[in-house]
Amino acid sequence: MVIVIMGDEAKNSSTATEDVSQLNQDELIMAQQRQIEKEISETIPLVGDLENILLLEHEYSNDDVYQEKVKNLAKKYKSIRRTRPDGNCFFRAFSFAYIERLLDKKEDFDAFYKKTAKSKDDLVELGFQQFTVEDFYDTYLDVLKRVGDIAEVEGAKTELHSLFNDQGYSDYMVVYLRLLTSGQLQKEKDFYSCFIEGHTTVEDFCHQEVEPMYKESDHIHIIAACAALGTGVRVVYMDRGTGKAVTEHDLPEGCVPSVHLLYRPGHYDILYPI
Amino acid sequence: MSLESKYNLKSPGVKRLMREACELAEPTEEYHACPLEDNLFEWHFTVKGPPSTEFEGGYYHGRILLPSQYPMQPPNIILLTPNGRFEVNKKICLSISGHHPESWQPSWSIRTALLALIAFMPVPSSGTIGSLDYTEEERKILARKSRNWECSICGKIVDKLSTVKTPELTQEESNLIKQIALKAEEEVHRKEVTNSNTENSNDSEDTLRQRVVTNISHSNVELHASTVDPKDADSSNQNGVWNAVIAILISAIVLLILRRIFFYKCLSLYIYILIY
Repeated sequence: MVIVIMGDEAKNSSTATEDVSQLNQDELIMAQQRQIEKEISETIPLVGDLENILLLEHEYSNDDVYQEKVKNLAKKYKSIRRTRPDGNCFFRAFSFAYIERLLDKKEDFDAFYKKTAKSKDDLVELGFQQFTVEDFYDTYLDVLKRVGDIAEVEGAKTELHSLFNDQGYSDYMVVYLRLLTSGQLQKEKDFYSCFIEGHTTVEDFCHQEVEPMYKESDHIHIIAACAALGTGVRVVYMDRGTGKAVTEHDLPEGCVPSVHLLYRPGHYDILYPI
Repeated sequence: MSLESKYNLKSPGVKRLMREACELAEPTEEYHACPLEDNLFEWHFTVKGPPSTEFEGGYYHGRILLPSQYPMQPPNIILLTPNGRFEVNKKICLSISGHHPESWQPSWSIRTALLALIAFMPVPSSGTIGSLDYTEEERKILARKSRNWECSICGKIVDKLSTVKTPELTQEESNLIKQIALKAEEEVHRKEVTNSNTENSNDSEDTLRQRVVTNISHSNVELHASTVDPKDADSSNQNGVWNAVIAILISAIVLLILRRIFFYKCLSLYIYILIY
């Protein structure tokens, strides 16, 4: 059943008057949340510039556990690129980092372009509204074409970076990857249904947790997104847990990762190996 | 169109709205919407009252305000024609409009929003923001009056729709209407609890069902299947109350019997002692 959160809360309260005050309360909370989100987005770029990995130490100047972990991280990774923490960070980081990497190898890029060019029909077949899917698809391909047409690799990467910092294009890239991920989940729903908790069907999960913007990503999103693009990602976990080393997870297991992401509770940034 | 020179056509949001304007350019028998001449981010729409409801025969006109981040953020809908269901000149609360942004999906469109609005009209309002609880009679009168209503920008709205059949719904749109129907079911049940005016709500429940049935016959089964749930939950709740009442009654009777027995025992004991 796809019902908004507010509906659920309203359902739980017992009288009509409570419902109204509950709704008003929710309104206020949501308004405040939107304000906070707006403030965040004004300070952090959608996809940041390359930074030296050791700069992370400054964030944790009073925290020995993290400092140790950053030093460990620096043995394998030379730089980091931050992304805006708006709930889309996984999709944005993954999309950007994967395309950026593909630009290094012309054949891989062309193969990916061809694969993506065929992806729209699958989505329409799954029941997505044709003309809106087309809208996102066209922009996605347009971005790929614009960066692919630039012969010089560094120039192409700069163009990609600037497109990913243009809210219009950047969000469209996120939406299309969300749709591809949703499509992948629905195509292989027998497999993925085992990993879904608290939702009745894969379709409902997709409508509530994958397709809407600003919904954060979990393991299942990452695995499905990787499967949809035909690649793998290494997620490096860094939290205040014991142990000096950071934990690494390759998704899907045993893949050769093309993208490295740093995960700190609630957020993904892009890592660049040495 | 003068709009084309005014906006950055390279911006995906602008391109999207241009596309939607083309998509919706031809009025259908159920709805019509188009951007204002000088503002791509404000549209005016007309929808026909859903058949076999108190809104039948009514024509309802309103504004759609698109946020600058559209389609990442949902459109806002404002009704202008008095209708007895939604307050006029106020952003209204649909599960897919601006008041609940977390349920909006960028792959939905203005058309989806209009279909949801039509489907939502016969659903009882139960105190949500911008909702009105007019009686069926009052709504019927407003529906009749709406035929003469005029928009200061668009003119007479009764001429805005055509006789062209509405394009068939996509899977996504049918699902969306199902969701709203489901939401309605829950609200119907809440209504039953708070006041006993069930006849009215059942009416709209039926019409909603009819709507879904005519659009997609196979989903009928699913809809019914999922509507059983809340009813079951409700009846089991009521059973629980009855059980409690019965338990209290039984224990009261047992207590009385025990007291009686005990009283007689005491009495006989007293007599026994008295005699000996």
